[in-house]
Amino acid sequence: MGHPYSFEEIPGVTWIPVPEPFISVDASRCTGCGDCVRVCLGDVFRLRNEKAEVASLDRCMECAACLFICEAGAIHFSWPARGSGYRSEWG
Amino acid sequence: MMAGAEYDVIVVGAGFGGPVAARECAQAGLSTLLLERASTPGQKVISSCTIPFYGFLFGPEWIRNGEPPIERPISGIRNIFIRDGKTYRVDNSFRVPAPLGPRIAIGYTVYCRPFCTWLAERAVEAGAELRTSTAAVDVIKEGGAVRGVITDGGEELRCRILIDAEGVQNLVATRAGIRKPYRPEVIELCLLYDFEMGKEDIDRVCGYNLEYFWAMPEEGMIAPLGRGSAVYIFPYRESIHMTIGQFLKADDGEVLNVKLLDRYYEKFFQTDRWRDLYEPRVKLRARIWDTCPIYAGLYPDQRNMPTFGEGILLLGDAAGLEAAAIADGVPTAWFSAQIAAQTAIESLRAGDTSASFLSRYDRRLREHPLITALISDPHRRDLAQAAKSGDEAEMRRRVNRGWGIRLMGHLAPPVMRAVYREIRRDARVVKSWLDMFNRYWRLYA
Ligand SMILES: Cc1cc2nc3c(=O)[nH]c(=O)nc-3n(C[C@H](O)[C@H](O)[C@H](O)COP(=O)(O)OP(=O)(O)OC[C@H]3O[C@@H](n4cnc5c(N)ncnc54)[C@H](O)[C@@H]3O)c2cc1C
Ligand code: SF4
Ligand code: SF4
Repeated sequence: MGHPYSFEEIPGVTWIPVPEPFISVDASRCTGCGDCVRVCLGDVFRLRNEKAEVASLDRCMECAACLFICEAGAIHFSWPARGSGYRSEWG
Repeated sequence: MMAGAEYDVIVVGAGFGGPVAARECAQAGLSTLLLERASTPGQKVISSCTIPFYGFLFGPEWIRNGEPPIERPISGIRNIFIRDGKTYRVDNSFRVPAPLGPRIAIGYTVYCRPFCTWLAERAVEAGAELRTSTAAVDVIKEGGAVRGVITDGGEELRCRILIDAEGVQNLVATRAGIRKPYRPEVIELCLLYDFEMGKEDIDRVCGYNLEYFWAMPEEGMIAPLGRGSAVYIFPYRESIHMTIGQFLKADDGEVLNVKLLDRYYEKFFQTDRWRDLYEPRVKLRARIWDTCPIYAGLYPDQRNMPTFGEGILLLGDAAGLEAAAIADGVPTAWFSAQIAAQTAIESLRAGDTSASFLSRYDRRLREHPLITALISDPHRRDLAQAAKSGDEAEMRRRVNRGWGIRLMGHLAPPVMRAVYREIRRDARVVKSWLDMFNRYWRLYA
């Protein structure tokens, strides 16, 4: 599983590396509206060729804002396997 | 698929509501499994959390009579108004006057991880099995009825009733086909900071008050009024929590750029009160964010999404029971968890887990003296009107109605109804309420 990692600009949180991606974009449904980019505080998404794609799940806080905002139903959202993802003592 | 054990009840989620339901079911002798995807209960629950007194008074008596890990009693709300970066008025009309306050508190601040862990320990004491680091990723369905879950490890866990306490994301209920994800108009994204701060400094700066900061939109310090929270500062034992939130989408369909939250913080950190009183005394410890289904009760289509199905009951945030005005979801999670457990116990005793039997759950939620009143109060949303009118006095009036003394206008009647209901059931409860305030004061001191 590797070692937990953290980011200086997001203190108080560690991330356990996830074995497989748990958020993905269905390109056939994506309209390229960019709303997922606008709501994600973890900079997970980017637009390329007028479609959204997952750039990196490293800073994902699993808040699901992307799932709620995508009215095209293009975002597949699940949980990282085996209880991993972010951890914080200070919520 | 690996076949696993079979239970009377599986509760998904050890946040604030799940352990309460699990404990009541286990206490009634049902074999109960509590599943949590984090490595400890409450680890993935993000709240600047003040649990209001009515959560303790009308929620489970074992919480009231126990010694949960509270941080600080709260006896009032201080509404601070900012113009040109400066405090120009303070409304602290809503408070329990000394010497009753802060011993008699309007709420208690808590950290989620220790509090939810404490709740889960009580469920385990009553006989529930707790499994952490295990997520439910799908449901087992037979003939339209939910009969268990499939875990992220690929295990099949079966049950006669599934209690879904998984919070806002609601993946299990969507997989079960009984709900759709919440609409973005009802979801607020909150960006939260945790700062260390010495106890004496906290005593001096905020005392036992929650501090809410308000400003007109041109101040650029909070999301345009009605489209997000004020800036909240909650005092803890030796730290403070601070939150700014913004909705994902406005009523008029505009998608709001939540990345602006960082800019609101920048502006807020320049206000006189923060710069002079807080900044010299704090050290940043954490920055985290999460969503909150705070308007779910205000939109009929969201409010009327099912809270039950064949073999399944939903509670707390998963059922859209967040208080729309004052942003508390813990009391309603506790109330609904108790009602869900009671319904599950009756249904298993009757050998009937059909949706028609379980429909009594939804009826009981709606009959609860506080739940409907809390989820259907539009004060926070109504602030948008003040922003549109550009009238600052109007903003202050609305803040007073939502978070000042006139809050009593809509909070007092349902609270009094709940008080009356409890006293009629057993008048001795009054002593246990007073004992609780005393005990929690000692816990803090
Ligand atoms: C920033 C913020 C501030 C808030 N402030 C307050 C406040 O001051 N006062 C107040 O009363 N309320 C507040 N709330 C609301 C409160 O936190 C929630 O209403 C409350 O936590 C809901 O309880 P719950 O049990 O329904 O869900 P949660 O407490 O969210 O618990 C859900 C649990 O389920 C787990 N889980 C989810 N999916 C799965 C799965 N598939 N498998 C296994 N486990 C799963 C999660 O890890 C979590 O532990 C706030 C919320 C936010 C976001
Ligand atoms: S919100 Fe949905 S439709 Fe819009 S860009 Fe993102 S994935 Fe595509
Ligand atoms: S869950 Fe939240 S943090 Fe993760 S990708 Fe979606 S919006 Fe970004």
